[in-house]
Amino acid sequence: MEFKDIKILLCDDSMFARKKLRMFLSSLGVVNISEAADGEEAVTKYKEVQPDLVFMDIVMPKLTGIEALKAIKEFDASAKVVMASSVGTQSHLKQAIVLGAYDFVQKPIDDAQVEKIIRNAMK
Amino acid sequence: MFAQFFGAFLLNNKLVSPDTLAQAIDDKKNTRMRLGVLAINAGLMTAEQVEHVNVAQQSVDKRFGDLCVDLGYLTEADVDRLLSEQPTDYLLLGQTLVNNGSLTNAEFEAAISSYKDQYQLSDDDITNNQNDKLSAIVKDFFHFNTAENARIYTDYVTLLFKSFIRFIGDDFTPIESTVVNEAEAQYLVCQKIHGKYTAELAIGCAKDEYIAFAERFAKEELTDEVDEYVNEIVGEFLNVNNGLFVVNESNQSGIELSLDPQNYIHDGKVRFEHQAFCIPVAFAFGEVEFYISVT
Repeated sequence: MEFKDIKILLCDDSMFARKKLRMFLSSLGVVNISEAADGEEAVTKYKEVQPDLVFMDIVMPKLTGIEALKAIKEFDASAKVVMASSVGTQSHLKQAIVLGAYDFVQKPIDDAQVEKIIRNAMK
Repeated sequence: MFAQFFGAFLLNNKLVSPDTLAQAIDDKKNTRMRLGVLAINAGLMTAEQVEHVNVAQQSVDKRFGDLCVDLGYLTEADVDRLLSEQPTDYLLLGQTLVNNGSLTNAEFEAAISSYKDQYQLSDDDITNNQNDKLSAIVKDFFHFNTAENARIYTDYVTLLFKSFIRFIGDDFTPIESTVVNEAEAQYLVCQKIHGKYTAELAIGCAKDEYIAFAERFAKEELTDEVDEYVNEIVGEFLNVNNGLFVVNESNQSGIELSLDPQNYIHDGKVRFEHQAFCIPVAFAFGEVEFYISVT
């Protein structure tokens, strides 16, 4: 798989955070990018788009990122969901790992780390 | 961060005016360190000796360092060592103020000595950005030792100033804090941290400063009006800083905390459950106020 083929879903209630990540993904050559602005929309969009990789914020309205991760994994156990949050505490990490998160990115997001995660997901 | 608090020290001791300081902060990026200021800072020469060399240099065609060696003030090894060291930011600020005539060498010598004495700072502390010394300055400067949760206030505000330098810019001066019950501003962003304790955090300022702050964080030019996007950028700064604080608390103190989503208030006020510290910060683009209340 190449960058132009991968489908990525960005879930963050911050338009600014989504824009920054989208710009970086576009610079890599990713073209299939969808967005969700809350946890509930993240689950709906996942079912609709069935992306190869999801970047999921934790602090979001309606459903938190952790709750959305749980719902997505229930729908698709093989889903690759990367938690991308400002709150990378031990308890959040533990919860995310138990629920089957693919990886964790601490905000402010490091572009090099994101690129590495995508490359791994494409293998 | 030692430079920002040195600026505040000069201001509080009325050694410079706010305008002079702001100009020097802006000018210091073009300043080249001179051996005299480096030698005064290192305690190797007095201001009087530096002045003596300056006067002597007018009648002799020799470099400043060579004259210092001839006059016995410095050894050649001293000169080499001083010139090879990377100047710290607070020294560049001091040199800029000496260059533009705001401070004499003697005033600089006295100021640097008082600043180091007040906070018990060594050159190594400053060069290595010693975290415990930075925290001690923050605690003392904002009088957090009078607060019940002094450790939390100190750790949070130390991190906040590091985040300014990392994400917004180093061209700011902290101003003395006040204790308040509410925050009122044209634009306010608030966020709560909760768990073992509750911390209420807010950023407040007028429209132009709000947009300028957002532009610095987003690294992009924004419109002249505050819209949802501008709010989200300032909100994201608060969220990122609070997230880093929550992670530090989890890793260093084993305290698990959570963040609420941010609230945005336009032309309004927020009342804190208990008293809050209001921490004004003078950036080159204007003043921004930060509020913190821990219960």
